[in-house]
Amino acid sequence: MRLSRRTSQLALVLTAVLTLLIAAPLARQAAVQAQSSNQNQLTVYSPQTTYSVPLLDVNGQSYVGLVDLFEPLGTIDARADGKKYKFRFTAPGGRPLESQFNEGKDKSKVRGENYKLPANFVIQTGRGYVPLSAASVVLGKLLGTDAQLHPAARRLFIGNVPIRYTLELRPGNPSHLLVAFSSPVNPSIATEPGRVRLTFRREPVVSSGADTVPYSDPLITGATFSEHDGLAEVDVTGTAPLMANFADGGKTIIITGAPPPPPVPQEAPPPAPPPTAPAAQPQPKAPAAPRFLVLIDPAHGGNDIGAAITPDLPEKDVVLALARRLQHELASRGIAAGLMRNSDVAISLDQRATAANATRPALYIALHAANTGRGVHVFTSLLPAANLSPGGFLPWDTAQAAFLDLSGSVAGSVAAELESRKLPNTTLPAPLRPMNNVAAPAIGVEIAPPGDIVEEIASAPYLQQVAQSIAAGVAAVRSKLPEVRP
Amino acid sequence: MTRRIVIIFAVLVVIAFGLAYYAVQLKKKVARDEQLAAQQALASAPAANGTPTPVTLYLASDSDGTLRRTQLSVALPPERTERARAVLRALFGQYLQSGSPHPIGAGADVRDVYLLGDDTAIVDTNSAFANAHPSGVLTEELTVASIVATLNAADSQIQRVKILVNGQERETLAGHADLHRFYEAGNIGAVVKDLQ
Repeated sequence: MRLSRRTSQLALVLTAVLTLLIAAPLARQAAVQAQSSNQNQLTVYSPQTTYSVPLLDVNGQSYVGLVDLFEPLGTIDARADGKKYKFRFTAPGGRPLESQFNEGKDKSKVRGENYKLPANFVIQTGRGYVPLSAASVVLGKLLGTDAQLHPAARRLFIGNVPIRYTLELRPGNPSHLLVAFSSPVNPSIATEPGRVRLTFRREPVVSSGADTVPYSDPLITGATFSEHDGLAEVDVTGTAPLMANFADGGKTIIITGAPPPPPVPQEAPPPAPPPTAPAAQPQPKAPAAPRFLVLIDPAHGGNDIGAAITPDLPEKDVVLALARRLQHELASRGIAAGLMRNSDVAISLDQRATAANATRPALYIALHAANTGRGVHVFTSLLPAANLSPGGFLPWDTAQAAFLDLSGSVAGSVAAELESRKLPNTTLPAPLRPMNNVAAPAIGVEIAPPGDIVEEIASAPYLQQVAQSIAAGVAAVRSKLPEVRP
Repeated sequence: MTRRIVIIFAVLVVIAFGLAYYAVQLKKKVARDEQLAAQQALASAPAANGTPTPVTLYLASDSDGTLRRTQLSVALPPERTERARAVLRALFGQYLQSGSPHPIGAGADVRDVYLLGDDTAIVDTNSAFANAHPSGVLTEELTVASIVATLNAADSQIQRVKILVNGQERETLAGHADLHRFYEAGNIGAVVKDLQ
């Protein structure tokens, strides 16, 4: 039996469409999965904080997650509804601003205005991603301020945050190069023979003029600015070993020749006669100022996803969102807080304890999430009380035993704040790693869904309530916790 | 293109969808059968020898985060380590039942219990116990506390318990509860009081 030519063509088209419908999502998924393992990071500098956001590579184009991008800047509520992705952002003290994106489409509506994305919107495991080149526009529209993207360097500047610098060469013997910044900086400094490299990871340092400045000086031959991989570098070259010193409260870095190494004595010199006048004694270095730092440890990360709260919602993401809110809430109460991780990276349990002990925080808070139970569980270490001095040598396995009383005080205070906000809570000791190894007051906080709907564990209002409770609980017992010298 | 090709294509599409549906159903059936087999294995093993004796189990509940004492008649062998294993298998059997308030991974089992001296028990579990255990601080703590408290209730001489997985030390049960350490029955007893 023969079909008409038109029917044959129709059958062919139908076959092609069916094949495409089945193959396209699979191919895209494979492409995303193959490339997501090679994630890059975008460094975002805002007036409030500096943070890193993982980038997703989709078909050779960099994408950034809206939740990752906006979470440190305010309150967000995002949900995928089929192919639609609804995103609500509320800046601190501001009103909610709505946006809507469509998977596989470049048309979007940001704050009520139509905006054409430079490439199609992507939804991956329930999260919405915009092309990196659109990040500054979306940020600008929702924050109401300018945002500048340096795409090649993967650096994004929100508002008037860039730190600029000037170079001034003072010839002499030896010559000095003064690098003066508009704000204090704290770069890592690496020296090699004839070279000093200043690396700025957290400071939004940008070039003020020419990137390369040559000098016809016998010691310092040039300075070069570069930015790449989410950081900036100032590279100073010379004809002899160089060294860098801070001045002007960290606003100036002076680069000059390094002193020659002391000669190696061949023989013991004869004893010097006693000085007739008292020699100038070196002044003892002033002790560093005490500081009160809370170290927040969002558990898991990288390949270790923790509990699967839902198939699309891993514990590692929930706790990172909570950690960022908690850091913000503590800062609003005048308490400095650091994050053990501010991106999706894997850190082993021993590494966490080692880093915590090296940081010497006034308080260590481990954050966890689970899909079983209700409300918030506050934990202290499950160790028998031991008569250990916090200042002495502490055994690794039971370091926490010396701080159990203080840890219990913090846990009680946090539980009281949770109670006052009518959040169901339980406080008890738990064998939670790595709390036993932490030589500082330490608590663990595990959030479970607030009610029957598991997905509400990641809702903005719930996370905010929990973060406020923890921060208020810490603030209430701050005077009991010893400030620790760095 | 003939109509025959179109019909063949349509039939192939139907077969493909049919096979996919069958594969999903088969996977569900295998999971059900494995769970049932595990329950039956645990329920039947201790009955091989020994006389039925009432034992106290500390049963966990995830929904309210509690441990509750309950009595169960279990056939207990005379030998001390075998008795401890039979009690723990009865405990696991409760958790493996469908609708358990504290489910653990399908196929979880106690391979052996060893005694170090009179007061220390080493509980060797199988891989399924840890690999398929739900992840969470409280849910893992409930499992550990339930094992230690149940062992101590069955044999009051056992004061310290260490849990191995497949004969090996493991860092955590499912990402949270410490499995490197020895658990003191007295220490866990205080937790059990909090959880009741």
